[in-house]
Amino acid sequence: MRQPDLEVIQRVLAGETAAFELLVRQYQQEIYRLAYRLTRNAEDAKDLSQEAFVAAYRSLGSFRGHSRFSTWLYRIAMNLCLNHLKSATRQDPSEVDGTLADQRADSLAALLTDERDRALAEAIETLPPQQKATLTLRVHQGLSHKEIAEVLDCSEGTAKANYFHAVRALQRKLQAF
Amino acid sequence: MPGGSMTGCDDIRERLLAHHEGELATEERLQVEAHLATCADCTREAGLIREALGRVQALPVPEPPAGFWGDFEAAVRRRIAAVPPPRPAAWARVAAWLGRVPGLRPIPALAAATVLGLLLVIGLVRTHRAPRDLPPVEALMVSEDLAIGQNLEVLQNLDLLEDVEVLERLDLLRQLGGDRRPRLS
Repeated sequence: MRQPDLEVIQRVLAGETAAFELLVRQYQQEIYRLAYRLTRNAEDAKDLSQEAFVAAYRSLGSFRGHSRFSTWLYRIAMNLCLNHLKSATRQDPSEVDGTLADQRADSLAALLTDERDRALAEAIETLPPQQKATLTLRVHQGLSHKEIAEVLDCSEGTAKANYFHAVRALQRKLQAF
Repeated sequence: MPGGSMTGCDDIRERLLAHHEGELATEERLQVEAHLATCADCTREAGLIREALGRVQALPVPEPPAGFWGDFEAAVRRRIAAVPPPRPAAWARVAAWLGRVPGLRPIPALAAATVLGLLLVIGLVRTHRAPRDLPPVEALMVSEDLAIGQNLEVLQNLDLLEDVEVLERLDLLRQLGGDRRPRLS
């Protein structure tokens, strides 16, 4: 049976630092997938998710257990991913909507045989980062709007609005078929 | 207005997503459902929402190559080995910090720490919304500079004017704290 996260964290803070690997093993796939869904790039997802664990380890003493550890970890990972997306946009804004977005979608597109799925994947790529993050947290991680607000450090109303606009954009895309 | 509902299509469409997610109150839900029963356009919209979310949920993530997760764990292990072990806040860290700050006399230091502690408590109470474990970067920087934010319990137990014993033992506390300035980890 899996040891509760809080107990593992207490072991790490008590000096048994190797216990942190239990948390890595428990959440690595989830955090990697989260990062992949935002970046659509396997290498970036790997780097960002590893960085998320290192940052979590570094700040573990500040974790109070008020929220779930996974929510706290999502928040760290999301901040890293959103900063990454922002810096990519700053480098060349035109690339994000065009060439770069196409390149990112390539590895996923190869898996998608249905053209409606492919169109949706492309539409997700063009969403503003906050909407994309909200959509991922809601649809793939199953977070409530309140939890999303906590992860993305925004109000619950903003989280709901971002989700609404993201879904509407996807709906429009399907409508165009 | 199709279907002759009391509510217009625009209002209904604003609620279709919440309806899909089961987030509407009973009255609103029944209103939406009554409208959908008679409005083909809104029913199509609802279908698109259902389809979009279903397809998005099913979008795969390419499976990493064999050995990926083993390498992943090893890389994280390597990287955290270079990071100081995380520790919970401890009273000795505050005491060591108080003893090490150049130019601060014990009483002003304790006074400053107590006032800061009170301000932090007031600030936390006033700004409390949802519980947050990861403070904003600015707060981390301030806490790191002062190394006090996490030790309110200690500060609250220090009586500024009467706890002479603590003041007398600052040298001992300094020794316990060593030369290292406490870090917020």
